[in-house]
Amino acid sequence: MAAAGSAKAALQVAEVLEAIVSCCVGPEGRQVLCTKPTGEVLISRDGGCLLEALHVEHPIARMVVACVSSHLRKTGDGAKTFIIFLCHLLRGLHAIPDKEQDSLISPNIQTHRRHWKNCCQWKFISQALLRFQTQVLDYIMGHYLSKHFLSVFSSSTKERTLCRSSLVSLLEAYFCGRVGRNHHSFISQLMCDYFFKCMACESGCEEVFEIVDDYFVELSIGVAGLPVSDSRITAGLVLHRDFSVYCPADGDIRIVLVTETIQPSFSTSGSEFILNSETQFQTSQCWIMERTKAIMKHLQCQNVQLLLSSVKQSDLVLYYAGLNGISVVECLSSEEVSLIQRAVGLSPFVLPHASSQYEICNTALMKFCKPLIFRSKRYVHLGFIGTCSFIPHCVVLCAPVQGLVEQHKNALRGAFKMLRQLFKDLDLNYEIQASDQNCTSSPLTNRNSRESKPLPENGSIQSPCQGTVVKNKGKLATTEAYLKVYSNLVVPSIDLETYTPCSTPKGTPTDTYQTDETRRCLVKTRTIDDSEPFTEDNSANSTTGNTRIEISCENLQVTKIAGKGSKLPVREKSLEMCTSHSQCCSSIPAGCVLPVGGNFEILLHYYLLNYARKCQQSEETMVSMVIANALLGIPQILCKSQKGNYSFPHMYVRALHALQTNQPMVSSQTGLESVASKYQLLTSVLQCLTKILTIDLVINIKRQPQKVYDQDSDEEV
Amino acid sequence: MSRLEAKKPSLCKSEPLTSERVRATLCVLKGILTSSYGPSGRLKQLHNGLGGCVCTTSQSSALLSNLSVTHPVLKILTTSVQNHVSCFSDCGLFTAILCCNLIENVQKIGLTPTTVIKLNKHLLSLCTSYLQSEFCGCRILVDFSSTQILLCLVRSIVTSKPACMLTRQEIDHISALILRAFLLTIPENTKDRLVLGKSIIVPLKGQRVIDSTVLPGILLEISEVQLMKILPIKKSDPFKVALFCASLSGDLSDTGEGTVVVSSGVSLENAVLDQLLSLGRQLVSDHIDLVLCQKVMHPSLKQFLSTHHVIAIDRVGAALMEALSKVTGTQPIGSLGAISPSSYGSVKDLCTEKFGFKHFLHLLPNEATICSLLLCNRNDTAWDELRLTCQTALHVLQLTIKEPSVLLGGGCTETHLAAYIRHKICDEPESILKDDRCTQTELHLLTEAFCSALESVAGSLEHDGGEILTDMKYGHFWTAQPESPSVVNWSDLLSRCGCGLYTSQEELHWSFLKTTHPPFAPQTCLPHEAVGSANNLTLDCFTAKLSSLQVAVETANLILDLSYIIEDKN
Repeated sequence: MAAAGSAKAALQVAEVLEAIVSCCVGPEGRQVLCTKPTGEVLISRDGGCLLEALHVEHPIARMVVACVSSHLRKTGDGAKTFIIFLCHLLRGLHAIPDKEQDSLISPNIQTHRRHWKNCCQWKFISQALLRFQTQVLDYIMGHYLSKHFLSVFSSSTKERTLCRSSLVSLLEAYFCGRVGRNHHSFISQLMCDYFFKCMACESGCEEVFEIVDDYFVELSIGVAGLPVSDSRITAGLVLHRDFSVYCPADGDIRIVLVTETIQPSFSTSGSEFILNSETQFQTSQCWIMERTKAIMKHLQCQNVQLLLSSVKQSDLVLYYAGLNGISVVECLSSEEVSLIQRAVGLSPFVLPHASSQYEICNTALMKFCKPLIFRSKRYVHLGFIGTCSFIPHCVVLCAPVQGLVEQHKNALRGAFKMLRQLFKDLDLNYEIQASDQNCTSSPLTNRNSRESKPLPENGSIQSPCQGTVVKNKGKLATTEAYLKVYSNLVVPSIDLETYTPCSTPKGTPTDTYQTDETRRCLVKTRTIDDSEPFTEDNSANSTTGNTRIEISCENLQVTKIAGKGSKLPVREKSLEMCTSHSQCCSSIPAGCVLPVGGNFEILLHYYLLNYARKCQQSEETMVSMVIANALLGIPQILCKSQKGNYSFPHMYVRALHALQTNQPMVSSQTGLESVASKYQLLTSVLQCLTKILTIDLVINIKRQPQKVYDQDSDEEV
Repeated sequence: MSRLEAKKPSLCKSEPLTSERVRATLCVLKGILTSSYGPSGRLKQLHNGLGGCVCTTSQSSALLSNLSVTHPVLKILTTSVQNHVSCFSDCGLFTAILCCNLIENVQKIGLTPTTVIKLNKHLLSLCTSYLQSEFCGCRILVDFSSTQILLCLVRSIVTSKPACMLTRQEIDHISALILRAFLLTIPENTKDRLVLGKSIIVPLKGQRVIDSTVLPGILLEISEVQLMKILPIKKSDPFKVALFCASLSGDLSDTGEGTVVVSSGVSLENAVLDQLLSLGRQLVSDHIDLVLCQKVMHPSLKQFLSTHHVIAIDRVGAALMEALSKVTGTQPIGSLGAISPSSYGSVKDLCTEKFGFKHFLHLLPNEATICSLLLCNRNDTAWDELRLTCQTALHVLQLTIKEPSVLLGGGCTETHLAAYIRHKICDEPESILKDDRCTQTELHLLTEAFCSALESVAGSLEHDGGEILTDMKYGHFWTAQPESPSVVNWSDLLSRCGCGLYTSQEELHWSFLKTTHPPFAPQTCLPHEAVGSANNLTLDCFTAKLSSLQVAVETANLILDLSYIIEDKN
């Protein structure tokens, strides 16, 4: 059985998912209760969790869910926005082609043919989307949106310092979408406290993120049955088990970590122990006893007061530990052991083979060790002194039911993931189709071309193009020659002949290498081929871009020619740009944020519309318009329950007005959100959409999935 | 062969609270809980059709653990209450009823969940800050110089569990016993941190409740055969005790991961037994009088010890080990040889006693915070209920030590709090309206819903159709006999308020709880002399009640916030 994999089907699927997901979005979002087959009850507002819990059956829905989860793995945020945005995009696309269809297809064409025709059209659109994502989006982000960015780092000093208040508002906005309405400010305060308490120094925050992310289960304790407001942070580590032996001790406590049993056994694995007489047995038992006693005595001599063991120790060891005033905690999980090793730098103590006196070097000091009781369950509380940039702290999460504890745990974990992403730079690889007007005369005149170049203003992209079409046969030949040189680096299937670099230079040229003023502009190359889409050359040029920029440093002439119709990735970090005086940033620097409540969407919407107006290609205009309009869906949902001045139309008009008159946008919300994660979300959605649009048929197979046999399965038989 | 099966899609329902089925089941649950509430609550008999014994109870922990709820919304409610009970032991029914009332009342007024949740939170924080404030009119600071308040607290708890089937005299006896047991766990001289001991409840079913008693130290149950072996020992000096946690059964201990090859003719059992007997000789030469073992003791060793007049008791069990080690002051021995003399302990006296049909060995400590509460009741279910009650009371006393205040019971705290909130909202609504985008009407509607939810919890204390009233001065809770003539003079008909602090002889005005009456400011700052004079107060645990109030409102908020239920049908 086959079903048409049209955008219509995808829209229906997306609308169902949107209906569920949209009720949990934003600060006004509500909770969803998920029951598991085991009878567990989970409370969640996390989009990824909900989509997983639904166990959707529809193949397109399953694909969407898979796309969402792969996005979540990367960023840990934005599953709900993903679905809403996708739904709005599909809606927009669904509305547009209807008009075109009528003109293209005569009504008497069979429906079957129309379907194939449709698919063709979807394919074009998906290609246009891909192109948009790779070319236009990064450019707009880097060029227009970047001036609106705020930062969580305070800019007063040279080195970046994290501004606490902006971190709080960032976290609060994050938790608004994750935890119950009453708890987000409390949880975000808790998280902020936790973060600052754990961080020894500003520079070590990356390590803190890494440790917290890796060992979150060990660093958090859930207590069901207490009000949420009883949640708190405790200094030190809390192990999820009780002392086997507890001897109260004061002052600094020396600890050792063992990973093997202290009591020697009769035989180790792989060996044989032969007993010939009863006395031999008794003496060996005596020896074992004496040996254990000696080791424990020695530990006491070295002032060890706490023994952490990853394995179960025998009664004998516990007895001698008690006699020597050593507390014992057994059966530590491997994660706990590695956390202790990492946070305190304590490596396991290796039992000596000779009974001679030796110094124990693998010890660490602790401020306290005491039992801790939550809900009549005992835990071990260890006051570690951190040796790295992570100061050990635990977070105790309380809630009336376990499901809520889990929700808060997941939200905290996600928040750490989000912060980790935020503190990284995100490169925007947008490409510039550089073209030089002077090249049109002759490649030989490049020397003096510098002087003749017009020096445009920064915002010159908006200015109308001044270029004229000049055909230069000789130049064309050179360009083609160069392109052929590079074509071996590139996907070989590219047909260079279809690409005629008789470009119409629009806008102004770029000189990134020689003049001090650096500016970039987007120059559109228009292919003269009548109906051929020019998608093929995109990938080729973007991959070769890097090689060309290197060459360009050595040989200007080459660059000028190669630059014709090619795209050069410009990064702020690339050496050329750093030395030159750049006015635009082409990466989203770490810590970039925007106010929540749809600011990002409205900004992007505004600039996309502007961009679309200047576009001359109908496809590109259409795609930009669709995306721009779909972006508005998110602030619409966020403002759904607001009335009066805060309602969406009001807010939208105000924002547009502010943008047109170059005033700062005033936001009613105090929260902040990461720009990088928004950007990544946008690209993920566009990728998902292109995937959906390229499918033309969904074939339903009712058969057990076939086993894929390995090559070497014969050997096993 | 593994069987492959496709996952079934989940069932997704929107707006669970609007469905009629959920409302009906919530109503049934509320009915069960309210009818069990308080000293005059009705008992529930739970019997499982598949087996197990019949349980007669009115306590939330027993009720909820035996009820099987299937609907996810109800599951949230019951697990929330059960979690609260496992933390605080007390106020389970209060939590459940308040939560049900809140959900029911909020549904009636039809505000959006957002507004409800925000305002509920504000009202809750008003309540908690008032209860914790100094001028709170329903909180009493506990004076540890006299046992009066603590005794009232324990008596209130015991009285509120009618399924224990106690007479008034028995209630007094049990309350006193519980308080004594608790006081015995407090160490006499403490350093900086107070570490409470433990009261061990020893069951003795089929006896009169009056026969219950508290003894310092530990009672070890022994069989009659064992009793015969123990010769009456008279000694003036303390008895020396050795406590083993290692098995003395003569089994071979773990021999490691490799192989052990035993030559023929070599009997390891004999070797181990030799070792055990030499251990026995060491114990005898160390003048040990009592050997206790957590696990099994080899019969030969037992025999050897008893011939040397050493009492040997094995299979003590892991649960008693900590208490035994505390009572005797020993270090549990995990070795079969080379015992350090420092790990021996001692007890002051050792005697055999007979309670009912059971024989016990009584270990009297020199100085320890362990005591045994020998609890008797007529039958199994009543005993179980009494045991739960005692555990609750002991836990509540521990909580009271940590936070030395108690709340007025008998419904007075609830009505007083409701009156305070009503007055506060009517008086200064700006504090809440300022930062939230909600109207004054919404605030008043929700305050009414919140306060009437609190008041109807108090109202659930009355099960016999009596009139429920509140006075207009203190905001306390009063009940009148049913079928009373329509009298004008309430002060003749009423005697004392719910908690027993005020009598009707004062100049008071009453109003029915269900009717609307103008908000009034209840008198705050409890007068000290009033508390001192009253000797039969009904009191509640402060910590448990405060937390249960928070948990109830949070759970109600959570349930009201649900927009979808996704049920995994796999």
